[in-house]
Amino acid sequence: MLITLRAGGLLREKLKPDLDAYSRRVEAEAGRTLAEILTAIGLDPSLVAFAVKDGKMQRLSYVPSDGDVITLQPPVSGG
Amino acid sequence: MRIKVQRDRCTGCRLCLQICTVEHFREMNPKKSALRIEAKFPEPGRYRPFVCTQCGECEKVCPEKAISRAETGAFLVDRGKCNNCGDCIPACPVGVIFQHPDHGFVIICDFCMMCTELGSTGALKKWDRKPRGAEEA
Amino acid sequence: MATSSSSSGTNSASRNGLAGTTLRIDLSTGAIRRMPTDQDLYRRWHGGRGITSKILYDEVPRDADPLGPQNLLIMNAGIMTGCLIPAGAKVEFGGISPLTNGVGDSNMGGHLGPALKHAGYDMVIFEGIAPKPVFLYIDNDTVELRDASAYWGVGSLDSEKRFKHELGEDFEIATIGPAGEHGVAFSCITHDFGRQAGRTGQGAVMGSKKLKAIAVRGNRSIRVHDVDALKQQVVGIVKRTQTHPNMEPWQKYGTAFFIKWSNDNGVMPTYNFQTTHFEHVDGIDGDKLVEKCLITHKACFGCWMNCGKYTRAVVPGKAPVHLEGPEYETGSLCGSNLGMRDIHDVAYVNWMLDNAGMDSMSGGGVLAFAMECFQRGLITEAELEGHTLKWGSVDDAEHFIDMMVHRRGIGDWFAGGTRRAAERIGRGSEKFAMQVKGQEMSGYDGRWAPGMLLSYMTADIGAHHNRSWTITVDMAEGRERVEGRAKIVVYLQHIRPLFDTWCICRLFWGELDITPEEIVESLNHITGWGIDLREALRTSEMIWNLNRCHYLERNRGNGRSFDYPPARSWEDKIPSGPGQGKGLSLEQIEQMLDEYYDARGWDRKGNPSRALLEDLGLGEVADNLARLGLLGEPLPGGIPETRGEKYKPKAF
Repeated sequence: MLITLRAGGLLREKLKPDLDAYSRRVEAEAGRTLAEILTAIGLDPSLVAFAVKDGKMQRLSYVPSDGDVITLQPPVSGG
Repeated sequence: MRIKVQRDRCTGCRLCLQICTVEHFREMNPKKSALRIEAKFPEPGRYRPFVCTQCGECEKVCPEKAISRAETGAFLVDRGKCNNCGDCIPACPVGVIFQHPDHGFVIICDFCMMCTELGSTGALKKWDRKPRGAEEA
Repeated sequence: MATSSSSSGTNSASRNGLAGTTLRIDLSTGAIRRMPTDQDLYRRWHGGRGITSKILYDEVPRDADPLGPQNLLIMNAGIMTGCLIPAGAKVEFGGISPLTNGVGDSNMGGHLGPALKHAGYDMVIFEGIAPKPVFLYIDNDTVELRDASAYWGVGSLDSEKRFKHELGEDFEIATIGPAGEHGVAFSCITHDFGRQAGRTGQGAVMGSKKLKAIAVRGNRSIRVHDVDALKQQVVGIVKRTQTHPNMEPWQKYGTAFFIKWSNDNGVMPTYNFQTTHFEHVDGIDGDKLVEKCLITHKACFGCWMNCGKYTRAVVPGKAPVHLEGPEYETGSLCGSNLGMRDIHDVAYVNWMLDNAGMDSMSGGGVLAFAMECFQRGLITEAELEGHTLKWGSVDDAEHFIDMMVHRRGIGDWFAGGTRRAAERIGRGSEKFAMQVKGQEMSGYDGRWAPGMLLSYMTADIGAHHNRSWTITVDMAEGRERVEGRAKIVVYLQHIRPLFDTWCICRLFWGELDITPEEIVESLNHITGWGIDLREALRTSEMIWNLNRCHYLERNRGNGRSFDYPPARSWEDKIPSGPGQGKGLSLEQIEQMLDEYYDARGWDRKGNPSRALLEDLGLGEVADNLARLGLLGEPLPGGIPETRGEKYKPKAF
């Protein structure tokens, strides 16, 4: 299945976007968690604070479905 | 063209007021802008943006005939004719006509739409609707 | 009372972002002086933190009591404030800190800074002490000290409400609470019902001057060097970032969401930094805040990111309260660090500290320290007026805050901050007084994030995160290694405080990929200075070193002696959670300090050398240090050509 990951900042450099400035399409095995998918593409999940899909916050334990567009949020640089 | 207000989306940032003044006077001064934000704090804790609705009351009451309607629907002030008497101010039902000591004319929204371009919450949006009063025509 | 009025408030000739006038107010006599803003001072020190540091260095005697008449309180609205810059909303407060006994500065967003400039003023310098409580009233050219006796003793938020009611909704108000009036060393200045200049106790400085509030309204224009270029650039930046992936989450959740991340990654301050993992974190995370408490999103002037969350907290048996927050720092320091398990409880503690006028970061730190003292039997129910002080108890926290605000019994010791309280309590409590230079730590434990610990140790205002934040760098470079971290910390300590110097928010830089070069370009459009980032960083380094020297001159010791964290940082390993068993050794801490001083061009005693100070144009400061025997030794290989190193890949 295909999902789209989006990220900015440090995460963008790690994500290596190819779709547009912020997005990358990723082929992922169904049933895998977001953390597993990120690890598989070489992006350390501990650099991700949380993810957002359809405006709703999701944890890294989230299991994406085909066609999901998921934004990865980096940790804040100190409130 | 009109401005659609989704009032609960306003966060009180006043970026709209800033860009309004920069666009029209090329300086920084939110008190010269043609819209206003009401903030009710600490209770209940909310912001409300108010913009011109193109109702035309200002044009009706202007004794100098200095306010006239443009094709866009906006009510424009003829800065030469306007003598800053202020009769239009109480006539405006949403309170978005302003005077400023630097200028001898009133300030009314000309629908340049800059405020709708900079906001990112959707509180003020471009509204591709015929000018008010022209719907029936 | 004293009144000053003139017809020409602003210097309309200046097109450099400045309003044109500086106010100097002697509260002892009530005299109000207007002066043209010193353009050269701004050009050299850039405003904000830079100018406050310079004025404090030049004017406040080294032995002056931070809460006495010789200290100054400087309010500075920065050169970029109110000039269309996204989040260009800050106003900086500076004075010698009663918490650290060094230069203190703290800023806040909201709308006060822009209002001050639109009234025609760049800076207000307060000196002396008013004979009775006053507030400063500014309405364009009308500048008056007015009687504030009726407001004395009233809470920060409550006073702002009353001032708005009395003066008009369009006034922007800064207030202090009873804590500031009573000299609680970590008192804050509050504005816009939830924005605070929180750190370094500027609220106590304001209170010592019997200045209850500042109320400002204005309708003047600010002119800039090249308005068309500025507009084009800012519109471009705003439009570009509207689709940035971080924008939506940021707008929706603000900073509070990182509580869970902190916890998952073993940096969450828990039970006064005893551990770094809180088992009840799900109850206090940001999603709970949005779900249970949110009333409206709230932005500072000109900011399209609206990280502010205006909320309502309901705790059984108490009247519901409105507040802004808790954001991340308060959420951790008044949440897990106090063992609070419900977001309403965290928010309520946040509100109590806000209304009392205490910094909710230091406030959380002091409460946590007191709770651990109680846990260990170092303070007793008898000393607590018959109350307990248990983890997770809002009632206990409420009573203890009251003891501190009114300085009753042992509340008086804690009102001086954790360091002073530990000095009074003794019996080993110094080990877990989680502060550096007297300032309580921010909401990250540094034991498994060495760069973060070094950032706390070396920050000019004590253990605050905003000078340098390195946790993602620590993760990328190895969390048990300390090598190479110092240069990155030095770089961050130059670039991050620039935002406080220009009085704009830092967050849009890190979170939305707006580059420092772009921000310098905006600065040039506003001022016409035509500088580059390198020069700006040098200015920031100059400010950093000036503050360091000022600290040494006031506290009369070698710098290194002030740069150690509390012993918990190396004696205790993290006992639970993902960081279990992790921790640093004292040798590693010494190594980081050595590397840090080398990277800065200071000697190993932590004192700046003459070669460095002269390179930065601070030759006279070197002379002053030399007279006190505190000037650094010449470095064997000379000073490094550039101090600090940008982290690659880019860190925040």
